[in-house]
This record gives sequence, structure tokens and C-alpha cells, in this order.
Amino acid sequence: MPDTKTKNTLILQYDAITIGDEAPVISHALTRTDLVRYAGASGDFNPMHTDEVAAKDAGLPSVFGHGMFSMGLLGRAVTDWAGADNLKVYGVRFTKQTWPGETLSTRIVVSGKEETAEGKIIIAQLTLHNQDGEAKLSGTTRVLAA
Amino acid sequence: MELENYIGKPTGAGIIHVERGSVSRFALGVTDTNPVYHDLSAARAAGFEAPPVPPTWTFSSVFLGARPEEQPVDVTGGEGSPVMKIMQLLLRNGGLILHGEQEFRYHQSVQCGAVLYWQGRITDIYTRESKGKVMTFIVMENVFKDVAGEPVVTEIFNLIHRGN
Repeated sequence: MPDTKTKNTLILQYDAITIGDEAPVISHALTRTDLVRYAGASGDFNPMHTDEVAAKDAGLPSVFGHGMFSMGLLGRAVTDWAGADNLKVYGVRFTKQTWPGETLSTRIVVSGKEETAEGKIIIAQLTLHNQDGEAKLSGTTRVLAA
Repeated sequence: MELENYIGKPTGAGIIHVERGSVSRFALGVTDTNPVYHDLSAARAAGFEAPPVPPTWTFSSVFLGARPEEQPVDVTGGEGSPVMKIMQLLLRNGGLILHGEQEFRYHQSVQCGAVLYWQGRITDIYTRESKGKVMTFIVMENVFKDVAGEPVVTEIFNLIHRGN
């Protein structure tokens, strides 16, 4: 079994990070295929995400995206920026449903820095929003820096 | 049963294998093609012993990495997760169940090849009124530990019932 305590290389340089810095944006056009792929990959087959007929029968305009897909997409933007496995905390609030046809974009803004017993920490505020600026998720992360 | 009486009740427990196939599929499921999740040599070049998992992987791991023959005695005593019962109770008069908040606290790296032990429980249930509708919040915690019993990931999350 691998040593699960092995640490990944730290990517962010603590001294070079300034409050207000923004991480690169990821934009993703959401498709029904994304919903089906996430259902299979995660095991979440709630028909409101995968079955258009069932979703319409329930009074919805179409299937809608898994909240955890949105959180995964936003998490990808965090790890692309800070490095895989360098997160200490990642939390979100789900504010709106996502719909196929929307383009979802990430926003990651540095809001704080702390030197702690567990290492040098960068704090960032997170949002995922659609092409009209409607927030789908908002949240916070604490990531390790060198 | 009053809803408050479900506070503290276990929602489940189990043993999970962190397997490369499911981790790679999950990463693609969230659009993540970072080679560290898919390719052992890329993972090693980045300083890992084995591919790590994407940040939200443990939330799905219960569906992805459990081997039936290894699972512990059912902590719900055969009743199943009380969350299903609570949702049925709340939905008797209609309304909608929403995933409200989700947080992960990472204590250690999770990498393929590891075995995790998880336990879930309901930590709080409360109601709030919002725009004339009663919102019922069910707060849960899942703790994942390694073979030595050390915490690896803690998940804190809620489901919200929004009444009609």
C-alpha cells in the first residue's frame, strides 16, 4: 500500500500571492452528455439528472446538472491552480440549479493568507456562474502553498 | 418519531478501496483530464506514490469502492439510512429536497491503493422560515479514516427540505 501521507509538490508560492489575485478561469458548456457521464462516474442516477421524460413529468423544463458535478468542475479549477491534493478545506453552498446549454465559468479570488501549524495557507473565495452572471455555487477553499 | 430524535443517528459505515479505474472515471466525470489522476508515471512525476483523488471523490466513493463481502455489520440495524425515512416524512406534504451545502476537510492525502473506513451520522436537524416557507435542514457528517484509524477526510453537508 502506498504511503498515504506522501505530499504532492506545492505549486503556489506564498510570498508571491497577493489578496485579490485571481486564478485562471475555466469555462465549460454544460451538455446532457456531461450529466450522464457524471451519473455513471459517481453512481448518482437520480432521474432528474439523466431522464428527460421523468424530469418533464416532474414539471421541470429539462434535466438539470448534479450539484456535485458543479462542485467537481469548480474543484478542478482550484486544483489546476493550487495543484492536485493541496487542498485543506473546500466548501460550497449550492445556490441555483444548472441547465444543459448554460456555459459555466469559475472565479477564484484570493481573500487571505495565513501561516499555520499545518503549513502556509492561501484562502480563496469561489464562485461558479453562468453566462449571465447567475451564481450557481459560492464557496471557500484553503490551499497549501510553498 | 419526532425529527429531532434522529440527531446523532448513524447513516451508514463501510470499507472503501481507492481504485485507479473508478478514480480515473470519476475525474473524467468532472471534466478533469489532469494526468496525475489517470497516469501512474505522471502521478509519480508530481510527487505521488500513486494517483491521488479529485477533491470531491470521497462523496461518491461509497458507491464506487465498496466490496460487499468486506462490509461491517449494518450500523443502522437493517433499517437503512434514516435520511430516507426523514425525507419520506418531510415529503408527505410535498415540497422539494435540495442539497444545500457541502464541505470537505482534508487531513491526509488520498491515493489509489488505499483502504478507507467511513462512518456517517446525522449531526443536526433544524427548521427556518424563509419567504413564508418552512425549510428543514438535515446536517450530516461522514468521517473517512485510514487503516491506522487516523482521519483522512471529513465531509460536512446538509440536505434541505423546502415546503410548499
